[in-house]
Amino acid sequence: MSENSTRRQFIEGSCRVLGFVTIGGAAGLLTQRASANAVYQVDPFKCTSCDLCRTSCVLSLSAVKAVNDFEKCGYCMLCPAYMDVMSKPDERGIPTGKVCPQDALKRRVVGKVDTDDPNNNYYEYVVDEARCDGCGKCVKACMAPAGNASLRLEIRYSRCVECNECAIQIVCPDRAIVRVAAPGMAPAGPVR
Amino acid sequence: MEPNDRDATSVSVRDRLWKAWLPGVAAVGALAALVAGSLRLRPTPRAAPANPQPAGAPGPGGQADTPAQPVRRFERTYSQSAALGGAASPERFFRSLTGIAVGPDDDIYLLGDDEIRVFDARGSRARSWQAPAHAGCLAAGPDGRVYVGSPDRVDIYDAGGAHLTGFTAGEKDKPADVTAIAVVETDILVADASARIIRRYGPDGKLRGLIGNQNKTGGFILPNRSLDVGVDARGVVYATDTGRHQVTAWARDGSPLGKFGKFGMSAPEDFVGCCNPVNLAVTPDGKVVTGEKMVARVKVYDPDGTLLAVIGPEHFDPSTTHIHLAVDSRGRILAADPMRREVKIFSLNQTLQERERP
Repeated sequence: MSENSTRRQFIEGSCRVLGFVTIGGAAGLLTQRASANAVYQVDPFKCTSCDLCRTSCVLSLSAVKAVNDFEKCGYCMLCPAYMDVMSKPDERGIPTGKVCPQDALKRRVVGKVDTDDPNNNYYEYVVDEARCDGCGKCVKACMAPAGNASLRLEIRYSRCVECNECAIQIVCPDRAIVRVAAPGMAPAGPVR
Repeated sequence: MEPNDRDATSVSVRDRLWKAWLPGVAAVGALAALVAGSLRLRPTPRAAPANPQPAGAPGPGGQADTPAQPVRRFERTYSQSAALGGAASPERFFRSLTGIAVGPDDDIYLLGDDEIRVFDARGSRARSWQAPAHAGCLAAGPDGRVYVGSPDRVDIYDAGGAHLTGFTAGEKDKPADVTAIAVVETDILVADASARIIRRYGPDGKLRGLIGNQNKTGGFILPNRSLDVGVDARGVVYATDTGRHQVTAWARDGSPLGKFGKFGMSAPEDFVGCCNPVNLAVTPDGKVVTGEKMVARVKVYDPDGTLLAVIGPEHFDPSTTHIHLAVDSRGRILAADPMRREVKIFSLNQTLQERERP
C-alpha cells in the first residue's frame, strides 16, 4: 500500500514538474520571440515634446528624430515650426528667426514658383536627421491650432541601440515610449 | 601752550569743523532728496516679455492678457447677446457643429450631429432634418432654399427640409472638397479647397465659371485646406486666402477687385500664425467679418481693410481651428465654435461716434 502510494506520488510529482517546465519554457520562448520582434517607439498621441528625448538617450545625438508627415503638412510659407513667428520681421514682414536650434528643418519651394512674392509659393519641409537632436521644438510649434500637427517625434531604428531598458522610457513623464511590433512584423500592439 | 589753551583751541577747531560739516551734510541730504524725487517721478522700467503674445492673446490662465499694443478704441464694439447649443443647453450638439447660416427671415440654420436644425431668430427650434452623409457646410439662399455641402457634392433643400435636387462638384477625375457655399441670385458659389478655387454653378448644377484661378500661381494658397466664401449685397464675392493672410474680393465673373490683410503677430489688423483668416461672412452694410484660429477671435473690417471691431479670444475655445460665421439682417454676428459646439450671438453696441457724442 505504501509502495503504491509512493509510486503514485512519484508520478504525480514528475507530471507536475514536467508541466511547470513546459509552461515556463513556452512562456520564456514566447517572451523571447515577442521581445525580439518588438522595438521602442514614440506614441505621438501621448508625446508632449518635453525635450527629454534629446537629453536622456544614451547616444550623444539622440536616436529620436522629428519626422514630417507630408500628407498632413500644409506646405505653409509661414510655417510656425520653421520660423519663429514672434521674431523680428524683415522688410517684407516675414519673421527672421528660426525655431530649430540645430537648423535641422530645411525647406524648398515646390510646385509653381513665384520668385517675386514668397507668399505665392508652397514649401516642402524636410528634417535633416544628421542635425536633428530630437528636442521636439518644431513638433510643439506645429501643433494645432497653430499648425497642422504634421510633425512628430520618432525613434529611428537605424540609430537606436535597443538598450535592455530604454533610457528615455524610464524618464518619459508622458509614458510615450512604447514597445511596438518591429517593422515587417505583424502589428501585435504594445508588448508592455 | 597751557592745557586750557589747548582745550580752547580744540573746541574752536570742533566748532569750525561742525560749522563746515553742517552745510555739507545739508547739501548732500538735499541732493539725495532730489535724486530720490526724480527717481520716484520716473516710471519703473519694465523688462520686455520673453515670449510676447499677439494682441488679445489668451494668457496661461485662459484670460486675455494686457494687449501688447496701446489700448485702442475701435469704431465698433459688440457684446454677446445670446447663445445656442453649448453644454448646458437642451439644444446641445453632442458630436459636431460644422456649419451655420442665416435665412432671409433671420432663421438660423445649424449643421451638426448629422442633422440640420433650424431655429427662429429668438433661438427656439423650429424644425430639423437628416443631413447628407459627411456634410460639412451649409448656406441659406435668398429664396429660402438651403444648400448643404458634402466633400464632393451640393444638396439643395427647401426651407422645410424637403430634398429638391443636388449636383456633384468638381471634375470627374478631380472631385471637389467643398468647404463653403454662398448663394447670390441664381449663382451657387462653391468653395473647393481641393482645386483651391471657387466654382460658380447654376441651380441646375451646370458650371458657370471659376473664381480665384487668376492668381499668379493658380488658385488660393490653403495650407489648412480651408476656403470660405461670402457675398455682399452688391454681389461682390469675398474669399479667404489663408496662406497669403488675406481677404480677397472678386467680381462674379472672376475678375479680382481687391484684397486686404497681411501676416503679423502684434497689430490687431494683421492675421496671425501660418494660415488665417479661416472663416468669413459679410454684414448687410458691407462689412467683412473674419474668424481666426491660433488666437481664436472674430474681427470686423471695412472692405478697404480698416479694422472696425475685435471680438476677443475669451469667447472661444483656444484650440479651435475654425469659427464658422453668419450675419443676420440686423447685423448680429453669429459665431459657431466647433470645439465647444456652441453658437454665440454678438450684437453691435454703439459706434465710436455714438459713444463719443455728448
